[in-house]
Parts: sequence; C-alpha cells; structure tokens
Amino acid sequence: MRAEAQAGAAAAPLLAARGVSVHYEGAISALEHIDFDVPQGALVALLGANGAGKTTLMKAIAGMLPFERGEVTAGEIDFDGFSCVRAHPAKITRRGVALVQDGRQCFRSMTVEENLRAAALLKPARAREMTDLVYDYFPMLREMHARAAGFLSGGQAQMLVIAMALMGQPKLLLLDEPSLGLSPVMVQAVFDAVERVHRDLGASVVIAEQTVPRLLTIATDAYVLSRGTVAIHAAPSQITEDELQRVYLS
Amino acid sequence: MLGLQLAIAGVATGSVYALIALGIVLIYKCSGVVNFAQGAYAMLGAYISYFMLRLHLPAVVAVLAAMAIMAVIGAATERLILRRMLKAQIVSVMMVTLGLLIFFRALCLAVWGPDQIAFPQIFPAGSIDFAGVYITYNYVAAFALATTLSVAFLCFYQFTAIGLMQRCTADNTRAALAIGIHVSNQISIAWAASAALAGLGGALLATLGGLSLTISDIGLVAFPVIVVGGLDSLVGALIAGFLLGVLEAFTEGMLTPALETVLRKFTSIDSVGALQQVIPYALLVLMLLLRPQGIFGRRGVERV
Ligand SMILES: Nc1ncnc2c1ncn2[C@@H]1O[C@H](COP(=O)(O)OP(=O)(O)OP(=O)(O)O)[C@@H](O)[C@H]1O
Ligand SMILES: [Mg+2]
Repeated sequence: MRAEAQAGAAAAPLLAARGVSVHYEGAISALEHIDFDVPQGALVALLGANGAGKTTLMKAIAGMLPFERGEVTAGEIDFDGFSCVRAHPAKITRRGVALVQDGRQCFRSMTVEENLRAAALLKPARAREMTDLVYDYFPMLREMHARAAGFLSGGQAQMLVIAMALMGQPKLLLLDEPSLGLSPVMVQAVFDAVERVHRDLGASVVIAEQTVPRLLTIATDAYVLSRGTVAIHAAPSQITEDELQRVYLS
Repeated sequence: MLGLQLAIAGVATGSVYALIALGIVLIYKCSGVVNFAQGAYAMLGAYISYFMLRLHLPAVVAVLAAMAIMAVIGAATERLILRRMLKAQIVSVMMVTLGLLIFFRALCLAVWGPDQIAFPQIFPAGSIDFAGVYITYNYVAAFALATTLSVAFLCFYQFTAIGLMQRCTADNTRAALAIGIHVSNQISIAWAASAALAGLGGALLATLGGLSLTISDIGLVAFPVIVVGGLDSLVGALIAGFLLGVLEAFTEGMLTPALETVLRKFTSIDSVGALQQVIPYALLVLMLLLRPQGIFGRRGVERV
C-alpha cells in the first residue's frame, strides 16, 4: 500500500490539472472539465483555434485569472505539490512557474537590462549568472541592453520576455503563442531558443500555438483544445495536419 | 529687490509643493488614481506634527512620528477604500478622493477648530543675508529639507530594488505579476510613501505660513500644475511644484497689488481675492490646448 503510493508519487507529473472549469465574469464558460498533465521534463504542445481556451488554461495555471475577471469554478491544479487554484500569481511564480503571456508583456519604459534585472528580483542570488546565460542564448539582447524595451521589434521583444521568464529559473515555462506575428526566420530563432532552454536547463515547457509544424517535431506530448475541452491528447507524431483542420473547423 | 525677494520665497515654498506633488504622481503612476486628497494628507500631517510637538517631543521625533502615522493612513486609504474600487469608473474614483479631502478637512475642523494656529518654532530663529535679501532660517531649512528628500526619493525610485518594483508596477501590471511582484503591496507602498512625504510637506508649510485648514488647498492648486508637468513624470512633478511656488509668490506679491490699484482707481472693486489660486487653472487650460500630455508626460497613459 505504502510502496504503491510512493511509486505513484515518483511518477507524478510536475503539473496536474484535474477537471478544471473556468468562467469569465461569472457566466462565460471558457474551459470545461479539462484534464491536463505536464510530466517532469516534458515539452507539451497546446494547440487550438482562436478562442479554444489555450490562454485561459495558462492563466489558470499561473493564477492570473482574477485580474481578468475569470475564475476557476471547478477542479484542482497541482504544481509540484502546491495548489495553484486561488493562489496569488506572485506566489505561483515563486514556486517556479513562469508565464510568457501573449502580447509580449514587458516594461516598455525601462531598458532591456532593467527588464532583466526586474525579472531577477525573484532570485537575486544568481542574477549575474542568469544574465550571462540569457545574453548567451539571445546575443541580440546584449547588444540592445541599453535600449528601452518599448523600442524593440516584435521578435526582439519576444526574445526579451522569454529571457525575463528564464531569469526566475522556472521549473515550468508556459509560452503563449510565442510565434505570433513573427517572420519565419524569427519563429525559427524562438523555437531554437526554447528547445535549448528545454534541453539545457531541464525545465518543463508548454507552448500554446495555433499551428506550427515545427512545434510538433520538438514536442514530447500534445493536446488539442476545442471550445474549452480537450479534443485530442496524443503523441505529437500521431497528430496530422488534416486532423487539426477537422478539429479547428468543427 | 522685491522681485528677488519673491523669487526666493517662491522657490522655498515651491520646493515643499514639489515634495507634495511628487506623491500625486507616484500614486497616479502606480495605481492610475488621481488623488485629490493629497492636500488633505499634507494638512493632516501638519496637524499631527503639531499634536506631537505639543507633547514636547523633540522636533525630529515629532515630525518623524507624524510621517509614520501618515504612512499608515495612506496605506489604509488604499487598502480599505481604493482597493475595493479597482474596477470602478475613473470618475467614481476621483469623486472618492475628493470625498476624502472633504472628510479629512471636516475631521481637522472638528478636532482643532477653524482658526489659524501658530505652529511651534522647529527651526532656529534668525535669518541669513542673501544678496541684500533677508531669508529666515525657516525658509532655508524648509527648502533644504524638501529638496533633499525629493532628490533622495528620486534616487530611491531609480536605484533600489523596491524602486524597481515600483517602476515595474507603474509600467505594466500584468508583466509585474508574471515576474512575481506582489502588485497590490507595491500600490500600498506608493500610497504610504506619498502620504508620508505629503505629511512632512504639510508640516513644513505650517512652519512657513502657520497651521490652518487652507494647507489642504495645495492639493487642488497643485493638480493643474502637475498636469502641465505631465501626470506620469516625477521630474515633471518637481518642476511643477517649483513653478507653482514661484507663480504664487509673484501673483500674490506683484500681480494682485497691481491689479487692485488699477481696479480701485476705476471701479468700486477693491480686492481680487485669491488670484494665486486662479492662475494655475488658467495655465492648465492653456497647456491642455497646446500639449495635452504635459511638458514631460508621455502620450497615452491609461488606467490599468
Ligand atoms: N477576459 C475575458 N472575458 C471574457 N471572456 C473571455 C476573456 N478572455 C477570454 N474569454 C473567452 O474565453 C474563451 C477562450 O479564450 P482564450 O483567450 O483562452 O482562447 P485562446 O485559445 O487563447 O485563443 P487565441 O488563439 O485567439 O489566443 C473565448 O471564448 C473567449 O471569448
Ligand atoms: Mg490566446
């Protein structure tokens, strides 16, 4: 009995969402009884058409829903033994979840360097080391370190927000549509960086996208959401473009 | 000579206004609230300092204690009232801060009465001779203290970890939350700091011009000048404070007497009243027409 429980605990995923429902403004249903797991060290692709609920799921995990008049109305989200439902986002971030939100949320009036310094406030002890690391990942940021973040291009800003998420040394990195609005070359660069983060830092990663063939080649697991429910949960190799189209159009 | 005299008095008073104005901008940047009660904080700080001084505490202790109490009052205002209004209309929030101003005035009126009170001397008596103009130590000390504190605060804001968190919160709440900043705590800190600075400012104003309810007017008079400086610029607030002080001194010392002489000669009006309170609003209208975002402000500041 005890041995069984321990074996179960050892295999427990880093993040486990069970039966999660989310409503906005107390009425609009955005997620309905979602089960979503992120195993330790996984790179999970979270796919879905516009309005499927990808952003909502990420915000639910990171505790950001109350700031959008949203609420987890059912279910449980467990991250590394910590319940994320109704916890303050700052606390969840401290536990090791980093959310790279859509819209490249950075501090536009501050320089790139200050943005990174702010992101390191969480773990100031290794700030130097991490700054060197992200500059190594994104050499462009080192060149632009004195520039106000508001003046970066879309791709550069995307690099910055990913770098900021890394400064807190997360165990789980959530990326919401990182390739949105980027040129193919930039998308390539972003995915290279994410793959490197996943491989070298050992962080588990979730990437929400609408369609990126590249994503399915690097992912270890894939979920396809449709209208707030999980339409497909399968190995990435089993998900075909046709099948995605069918779900998106349904 | 009168010009120099007025300029010096204006700069000294203006430095205190700058300190108070700093708080208005700090609160606006962090929480998007235009705090009309800032003048009430100054007034309350002055009365509480007076109360402490009457207990025969040393001046430094009395004023520091008053600042601490003001910090608590500022944070409490935010926690108990404004936090509950996060999703309210901006106009409702403005009405609430105006209501606070009226409430605090009524409170001071009830406790200390309507008459002007002589504020205990907290700086040494005497004066220095500056290019033929005598400046009392009161003015010198108020200027030195207010300016030092303003600069110290700007450094704090720019160079410390808490300052960095303040700037993050002011810049982008969503991004601040995502990097683990407890945004609502930062907003409380902004209100506490702002009320404490205003409290000291109020005590300094009382040393210059006596203690009365009119100290709270500064909030309303300063507001248009801050808009002129740019509501989201701390440096703009400092300059606005000095500008207001000098403007007020010259209006009171030169413009009003000159106008009254003319009016008395040709009409039966013999006083133009508080012209110095009108000038800032005239300046505001002019400025809003010419450069709506203020001299130092950035375009497109909105409430989050
Ligand atoms: N702040 C909000 N208030 C009310 N409803 C919302 C809010 N945010 C999202 N929704 C609704 O919740 C549902 C899921 O939206 P969500 O943003 O999670 O989708 P998404 O998969 O991220 O879409 P996209 O690919 O367009 O970003 C949608 O029906 C949307 O209309
Ligand atoms: Mg989305």
